[in-house]
Amino acid sequence: MSGLEAHDIRVKAGGRLIIDGIDCTVPPGTLAALIGPNGAGKSTLLRSLAAVEKPETGEVSFEGTPLLSLPRRQRARLAAFVEQDAATELSLTVEAVVALGRMPHLSLWEARDAASRTIIGESLDAVGMRDFAGRDVTTLSGGERQRVLLAKALAQRAPLLLLDEPTNHLDIRAQLSTLALLRSVASTGSTVLAALHDLGLAAAWCDTVIVVADGRVVAAGETAATLTPELIRRVYGVRATVFTDPVTRRPVIGFGEL
Amino acid sequence: MRRGAVAWGIALGAVLVASITLAVTIGPAEIRFDEVWASILSHLGLGASPLTELRDGIVWELRMPRVLTAAAVGAGLALSGAVMQALTRNPLADPYLLGLSSGASLGAVSVILLGAALLLPLAAFLGALLALGATLLLASALGRITPTRTVLAGLAVSSLASAITSFVIFWTVTGDSYREILSWLLGSLAGARWPAVAIAGIALVVVGIPIMFTGRLLDSFAFGDTSAAALGVNVQGTRWALLAGTALLTGAMVSVSGSIGFVGLILPHAVRLLVGPGHRALLPLSALVGAIFLVWADTLARTLFDPRELPVGIVTALIGAPVFALLLARRRADA
Amino acid sequence: MSRLAIALSLASAGLLLGGCAAAPANGTDATVSSVSIDNCGTTFSVDAAPERVITIKSTSTEMLLALGLGDRIIGTGFQDGPLPEEWADSDIPVLSEMVPGQEAVLEEEPDFVYAGWESNFSAEGAGERSELQDLGVDTYVSPAACKEAAYKPAKLDFDEIFDEITEIAMIFETDPSELIEAQKETVAGIEPDDRGLTALWYSSGTDTPYVGAGTGAPELVLETLGLKNIAGGIDDTWSPFAWEAVVDANPDVIVLVDASWNTAESKIALLESNPATKNLDAVKNSRYLFIPFAAGEAGVRTAPAAADLAAQLSALSF
Repeated sequence: MSGLEAHDIRVKAGGRLIIDGIDCTVPPGTLAALIGPNGAGKSTLLRSLAAVEKPETGEVSFEGTPLLSLPRRQRARLAAFVEQDAATELSLTVEAVVALGRMPHLSLWEARDAASRTIIGESLDAVGMRDFAGRDVTTLSGGERQRVLLAKALAQRAPLLLLDEPTNHLDIRAQLSTLALLRSVASTGSTVLAALHDLGLAAAWCDTVIVVADGRVVAAGETAATLTPELIRRVYGVRATVFTDPVTRRPVIGFGEL
Repeated sequence: MRRGAVAWGIALGAVLVASITLAVTIGPAEIRFDEVWASILSHLGLGASPLTELRDGIVWELRMPRVLTAAAVGAGLALSGAVMQALTRNPLADPYLLGLSSGASLGAVSVILLGAALLLPLAAFLGALLALGATLLLASALGRITPTRTVLAGLAVSSLASAITSFVIFWTVTGDSYREILSWLLGSLAGARWPAVAIAGIALVVVGIPIMFTGRLLDSFAFGDTSAAALGVNVQGTRWALLAGTALLTGAMVSVSGSIGFVGLILPHAVRLLVGPGHRALLPLSALVGAIFLVWADTLARTLFDPRELPVGIVTALIGAPVFALLLARRRADA
Repeated sequence: MSRLAIALSLASAGLLLGGCAAAPANGTDATVSSVSIDNCGTTFSVDAAPERVITIKSTSTEMLLALGLGDRIIGTGFQDGPLPEEWADSDIPVLSEMVPGQEAVLEEEPDFVYAGWESNFSAEGAGERSELQDLGVDTYVSPAACKEAAYKPAKLDFDEIFDEITEIAMIFETDPSELIEAQKETVAGIEPDDRGLTALWYSSGTDTPYVGAGTGAPELVLETLGLKNIAGGIDDTWSPFAWEAVVDANPDVIVLVDASWNTAESKIALLESNPATKNLDAVKNSRYLFIPFAAGEAGVRTAPAAADLAAQLSALSF
């Protein structure tokens, strides 16, 4: 079981090299965090890993299967990607949006069968949005919409799940429940990589971290070992202390003065 | 919601059949309902026609092809409009957005003025495709082709083609040939005979029906290109294929009937009111509603001032413009 | 009494007193008085016969030629077809194929512009009538083509054509009586057909035919011929008319208007190829009457055209 493996990813945009040769791995059954300052290239890297955009060079494979060369639908059955701040003007119902997640598994003319309907229902339950099933998605708050899009990705039932800032607009309770959900998805054997801007959440919930800055991997590995005060100062330019939470035994980061 | 859509589909299908059945019996010549249908059936090999050769010709050579063409053109235009609105993510888009109708008009007007009216469908079709090509070239010259760029390029090409058309008309029109041109520019089904049925019908079956099945694909674009790509959709390929399909379909319809307005713009919105914005239901139902609408609009056009005829584009504009204004008002209220 | 009637009376009185008023080259004819004209709502006075005339559309040119005034025409525009044989060698300069523009008109320094349609006088055309009048150029529109309700003829008859001849003659100080007599003779010589035949006056149009309707020159000619116009019930000079209605009426005879942009041949080809019309009696038996476009509008050619059509009609076999 190899999880997600990427070698020598390079991505250019407008003549500039955004991702400058990145290698990274995410073991299966883990929840990994992709962290780094703004503009480090996290979103771009995620899109390449999800094979939604093709990098200039590099290979991405999941469980040994190279993702970049797979036919699209096959790839979508293996990898699900949740975009940051995706929005729509179409007044689709929440249920219809989540149902889109079944697309890689259904051909154009196939109607949704009972199995699909069950999966859709389960996905809505997982994010706590079952009661919203008939609502118009354009009337939802940012946080509610984020959870619907997460449900859509879950409905894809893909063993690799990549998320770009999934906790962005959520209140603390929703943030924690999302991360708990991602943890439980990982524990069923899926490989989950989420870009997070909140170091505290990354430290508390994620088994491994990948730290990127200026388009390069600065450090990667088990969270407690990797997220050291020196690293934080080097990457973020702030002073920090790392404690261990006596109850959860997870790293907690305290921030000092600049 | 899904079951609702199926029910609507069946109901609308029945209304379409009833509409065609009725519309064919209406016209300036007084022919009884049973006589009309006996005549039609006789042409299908069932029984003899009770009408004289001339009156039989009215039913079979004038009314029947006209009503069938109206149905096909209405379906094609409404379908193209719905797809265009999805592709450009603009609810005020219509099938003529990418220069298609202006290009077709230029082709048609040139041919009318050269006196080669027989070539009209071909010239109109070629004009539409040329304009589309110009639009895409222009859009790509501005960089990566995006929906907004395409719409803007389409506007530019439309304006240019319209200007050239106006110039050509102004410069060369003699006597009363302007009437012919005006009728074409407004959109008219008065010239629809069996060849028109063939053109519109084949386009609808060969291009339109596959397009009707792309509803799910269009829905996947709801949250943008990245989300669609993440679901395994070939974003660029799908866009191009749908664009090409819509252009072909619209081009065929316009070549047969001129640029009938408001059908592609308004009717998808009416259908959205019935079954919501999901494209799996929207596309086929728009086609049905489009067919029904145009059959009746054309029936009005040819009977309102009997025995004079209006170009059907006037009727659709008279109905469509106030509805369009209402749509705009609703959007402003929502926004 | 209408102004025209008063003016006519004065003119007749003048004529009786002073003898025939031929072209007054030296202007010493004491009986010529200022003539007041109300033409389609534009009023003006003519003190002397115009010398430099621009005509727009064939009916105007032909009117002047018929009155022997061809030498006054300095230019023509927007002619509908070639002049009839009798005037074919009149060497009249052509100003423009289309409606001439305002500058082109004024450049010729006319004193009178005589148009066939009201729309010829527009900003994009020869100029607005009021503007031309202000510049000292009198303007005249064929009264049969007046658009305003007060001036539009309810139903055209030969008297209205003769009134136009008379009014023009008055303006140009010439004697219309010969022409009018000739026209009346032509009309009188036409024996209306008594077989109760119906007719279609097919002017143009392919998808929807544009036909002569109930109140204009086509109706007048058809009635003179004793033919019933199938579109005669429509209150208009010309009108679009559904093919279905044509087929339903099954006219005995079809009058085909021959224009360079829409020939009679092309009309026949259309009628014969259209599966609905090819079974019409008139089409199957080629019962066609031909008339050139220029002769189809109200003017001095209307009477001779009617006579010609009558001759064609009597040659048809039924």
